[in-house]
Amino acid sequence: MRSVKNLLVLMLTVGLILSPCLAMAKTLKIGSLSPLTGQYAADGNDIRQGVEIAIAMWEAKGGVPGFDKIEYLPQDSGCDGKQAVSAANKLANLEVAGVVGAYCSSATIPASDVLNDAEIVMLTPASTNEKVTDRGYKYMFRVCGRDDDQSKAAAEFLIDVLKIKTIAIVDDKTTYTQGLADNLEKELGGKVKVVAREHINQGDKDFSGILTKIKALDPDVLYMSLYNPEGNLMAIQAKRLGLRATLMSEDAVYHPNYLEIAKDAGEGTYFTFGQPPSEEIPEVKAFMDAYTKKFGQPGSYSSYAYDAANILLAAVAKVGADDPDKLAEEIRATNMQGASKKITFDVKGDSGSTYQILVVKDGKFVPYK
Amino acid sequence: MEVFFQQIINGLTLGSIYALIALGYTMVYGIIQLINFAHGEIFAAGGYIGVIVLSFMQARGVLDTHPFLGLLLAFVLAMIYCAFLAVALETVAYRPLRGASRLALLLSALGMSIFLSNGMMLAQGVYDKAYPHFFTSGGFEVGGVIVTNMQVFIIIGSVLLMIGLNLFVNRTRLGKAMRSTAQDRVMSAILGINANKTIVTTFVIGAVLAAAAGVMVGLYYGSVRFDMGFIPGIKAFSAAVLGGIGNLTGAMLGGMIIGMVEIFAAGYLASEYKDVFAFIILILVLYFRPTGIMGEQVDDTRV
Repeated sequence: MRSVKNLLVLMLTVGLILSPCLAMAKTLKIGSLSPLTGQYAADGNDIRQGVEIAIAMWEAKGGVPGFDKIEYLPQDSGCDGKQAVSAANKLANLEVAGVVGAYCSSATIPASDVLNDAEIVMLTPASTNEKVTDRGYKYMFRVCGRDDDQSKAAAEFLIDVLKIKTIAIVDDKTTYTQGLADNLEKELGGKVKVVAREHINQGDKDFSGILTKIKALDPDVLYMSLYNPEGNLMAIQAKRLGLRATLMSEDAVYHPNYLEIAKDAGEGTYFTFGQPPSEEIPEVKAFMDAYTKKFGQPGSYSSYAYDAANILLAAVAKVGADDPDKLAEEIRATNMQGASKKITFDVKGDSGSTYQILVVKDGKFVPYK
Repeated sequence: MEVFFQQIINGLTLGSIYALIALGYTMVYGIIQLINFAHGEIFAAGGYIGVIVLSFMQARGVLDTHPFLGLLLAFVLAMIYCAFLAVALETVAYRPLRGASRLALLLSALGMSIFLSNGMMLAQGVYDKAYPHFFTSGGFEVGGVIVTNMQVFIIIGSVLLMIGLNLFVNRTRLGKAMRSTAQDRVMSAILGINANKTIVTTFVIGAVLAAAAGVMVGLYYGSVRFDMGFIPGIKAFSAAVLGGIGNLTGAMLGGMIIGMVEIFAAGYLASEYKDVFAFIILILVLYFRPTGIMGEQVDDTRV
């Protein structure tokens, strides 16, 4: 018994001596905000997986200099402002070096208030509403495009290429969709008549009432300013009701899920989305290989999240994570070829928009020629 | 004018689905005075079983050779699975609390609802699961109104199920036992009716109807998701209350009303407030007739 007790005392003493050495291990904490549950979980998980691939690639290269390991803390923003704020508070308390997120602009904007006050850099891979970077936040960056550019691209296409006369626009009253729809209405000016401006609620499944109403007005185009779950269902129901209108939607509905769920109802739908880079570019190929090996087909925003994480990790590797101002400056000086596009940041934190028109043809997304 | 008739068809379809789910709520409430919050998740589970079975069969090519047999099999399997799920639910979460306060039962039901929906999320993933499009296309036009095959199928299928339920409850011995247990559980037990067996039967029937509704919703809308049971569950419960809780005909009527109000509010008023209108109707009816349209039927005897 005495020997066991002595052994225990010895172990405790050694442990106490060694523990400061363990505490010296520096962990780089990276957080992300995206809807991991709820109906937008598909895109939310695409973002989380994009960040995971980026971290895995850095760890394969030997990690970030100055840190022993990278800890990834994905949080659930639920595409909801309140939930995003509490998740952002949690990340701020955990003292993460930076956050990739969120997905919905209605979640990113309130969360960025919290993170900007806490001086934590935030790079959004997918929130396209102008207000994200228009507020002059020093620590806010945007890897994707902006909606004032997206609506311009859509309006130009509708007026100059499709030459339509009437349009019906539907949104779901959240920051992103309503902002984009308002912008589009403004851009269409007097050239196209908006015969119907309807709203649905997030989570609605049945659109037969509103589509029947729109059908009676017979517009040339039905513009779905929605998120992916609602967009998929609306496309199916529009086709079923025999709506003559061509469908057009935006970057949130642009996702392989649309092809899978809407199937032939989605044929001929036009989309605006950031121009994807050629798959021959080595950075793009590296991302695609790594992602498809681990997770299968990437979602629309996986590559943007991957780039956001890479930018963050590269900046930390250069200047460390102790000085947030230095980190923000380093990020702002980024000039790299990402898996989603070539990325440089302007003074507001925007990385520029290159929207192109894509169309669904034979069950695939093809650029419109 | 054809817009009006189109909306009627849309409303009947949606109303039938709410009616099927509402029946489960109303029967369980009638017999043990429990709002079975987990009923919405049983509806979702039915939808999932449907997509799993149909995808399996489509991969094997069964849907090309025997489409209707495959569809029938999907329904039957979904119903069987949900029946077992409901029995397990009753045995594990509700029966042990039979003598406890109503609040304990309510919390248990709420807890099981969260447990089941998250369980489905973990088991089946967070993404939507798409139904094979085999049956969902196709329809016909009647004077400018487009009626899809699926809508006809849902309306007729629901009517048949409801007629079947009516026959069961009114013409069979087990149905009579259910009615008497709902009316007065203590007296029925004295007369030799096995309360447990009757209650389990009630859960099973409710689950079978919810499973059918789940598969129909999956076929009609094209996809299912783990949280698809929550909102329809709330609306169906409101429909049951609207028609008179405990009253079977009331549940069917309530479901139809809520479905119609939703569609017409979306079509003729503001689409984003359609849920608001449905609940305004509920509040108005309850204000003027607190026991619901057809009057409630619960065990209100005091021993």
